Amino acid sequence: MDIIPQLILNSVIAGAIYTLVALGFNLIYGTAKFSNLAHGVIAAIGGYAVFYLTKTLNLNVYIAIILGVTLAGLVGWASNKFIYLPLRKRKASNMILFIASLGVMTALQAIIAMLFSSQFKTLSQDIGTQKLFKIFGGVITQTQVIILSSTIFIIAGLALLLYKTRFGKAVRAINDDEEAAQIIGINTNKIIGLVFFIGSAIAGLAGILIGFDTGIEPTMGLDLLFKGMVTSIIGGAGNIYGGILGGFLIGFVENFSIWRISGEWKDAIVFMLLIVFLIFRPRGIINK
Amino acid sequence: MAYLIHLAILFAIYAILGMSLNLVVGYTGLLSITHAAFYGIGAYTTAILLTKTGAGFFTSLILGIFITIAVSFLVGIVLSKFKGDYYSIGTLGFNTIVFAIFLNWQNLTRGPLGIPGISRPKLFGINFDNNFVFLILALVFLILVYFVSRFIVNSSFGRVLKAIREDETAIAVFGYNTLYFKLIIFIISAVIAATAGSLFASYITFVDPSGFQLMESVFILAIIILGGLANLRGPILGALFLTLLPEILRFVGFPADIAAQMRQVIYGVILVLLMLYRPQGLVGEYKL
Repeated sequence: MDIIPQLILNSVIAGAIYTLVALGFNLIYGTAKFSNLAHGVIAAIGGYAVFYLTKTLNLNVYIAIILGVTLAGLVGWASNKFIYLPLRKRKASNMILFIASLGVMTALQAIIAMLFSSQFKTLSQDIGTQKLFKIFGGVITQTQVIILSSTIFIIAGLALLLYKTRFGKAVRAINDDEEAAQIIGINTNKIIGLVFFIGSAIAGLAGILIGFDTGIEPTMGLDLLFKGMVTSIIGGAGNIYGGILGGFLIGFVENFSIWRISGEWKDAIVFMLLIVFLIFRPRGIINK
Repeated sequence: MAYLIHLAILFAIYAILGMSLNLVVGYTGLLSITHAAFYGIGAYTTAILLTKTGAGFFTSLILGIFITIAVSFLVGIVLSKFKGDYYSIGTLGFNTIVFAIFLNWQNLTRGPLGIPGISRPKLFGINFDNNFVFLILALVFLILVYFVSRFIVNSSFGRVLKAIREDETAIAVFGYNTLYFKLIIFIISAVIAATAGSLFASYITFVDPSGFQLMESVFILAIIILGGLANLRGPILGALFLTLLPEILRFVGFPADIAAQMRQVIYGVILVLLMLYRPQGLVGEYKL
């Protein structure tokens, strides 16, 4: 096992996860026009839902995953419906939405910790017996193959949805100018509600995949939120494809830096990267 | 009675933190979520100096202030490049980096183990080992910070800060270098937070990284948003309310770890409800 191919593989897998989180974050940022700090904790909800359904209720894994993804989507949808939408209708400032989402994040994270304790848990059911694949001298687990393929699937699906359907057209119109979109008869509130559902469901899927690959803990949401946010800023906030580039860039920087520096500094390094980007390229890799 | 004194000291420390954050968030309109970082720098400076060298509390306080000036100057310059959401995200990032340093620079901070055995201040033969005497010290600091804040916000300097909050471009057109004003107030606020940190470290006689996480910054933000932005009495009311609130939970009789999470839930819900129904807080003079 060589170190370089393994590092590249690890980077790609981490990048795929960050991309998934950033895709949803970007979708929501683009339409609702604020940084939804609760986005990460919704990923954790997905992971914990599957944990509960499979380990306590002994449900079939696939059904549990579908239910987990749906639940994450519904929580996102409800947070918009009952909190962000009323605020936007009142023309509340960006800061108010930002702080409201901070409140949602704080409360949901603590609720998860109350229900499931703060301990680290794994979703994986066959620990140690996973199939391993060898690619270019590196090792990759079956779960990680699923992570990569589902990321590609989501990216492709989202591209189709955004560029080939009426719904996608409406989303892009709101992205450009919400008022104009409203004037030409787009029900923007309904579309934004759906965007919250889809974005949160994708985050939920990311949380579930992490749960199978490594494990879940209540604070994972904060970590994912940071990575997703940094990813989307580096890629260009609100730009869907920028998120993909940003995700993999962070994956690489993170994994290659811990090759030389101790792993605990990962988060600090990612934020250094963010600050460097914010100073030199505040609109991200892809300038909009 | 002993317990009431303990609560009163905590209240004084949080009121100091809230008042200093109010200068940046309430009066200047910069949504900074990194106060716990400076709070921690003050606390750790005191902890390290008092346990590793023979320095006294007030020496450590002054050194902590100098370190904070240097750090907040650099951070303030970086942050001055950002606006709106990006500013807040940048501050979140700084808090994360500082937390990572507390946690991982094991030679200096002993990492997650924390630093025990910090001594109480001694001054002119007065020994602050008695909690009641310490409370007086904390209250003296609180009153001092109150008058410093009042002096700042009523001065011409303070009027420029409020003008920056209302319309930064307009005040810049009048020839004010807004960067300079924002930087100065950021440093002042950070220095006061570091002072609160020094007090906290020598009062509790123990510090560990968990007290200076992002959630602590959110808590301080909740204090001033609940109390009311841009009002000198706001943070005092907010700190009073939020330090007494957990005690109500104690009477209800939840187990300790559930009670800790319950507190987070309440802070989160308070933030959301305030944003929905009373964004100016109890006595705020500035609406976000």
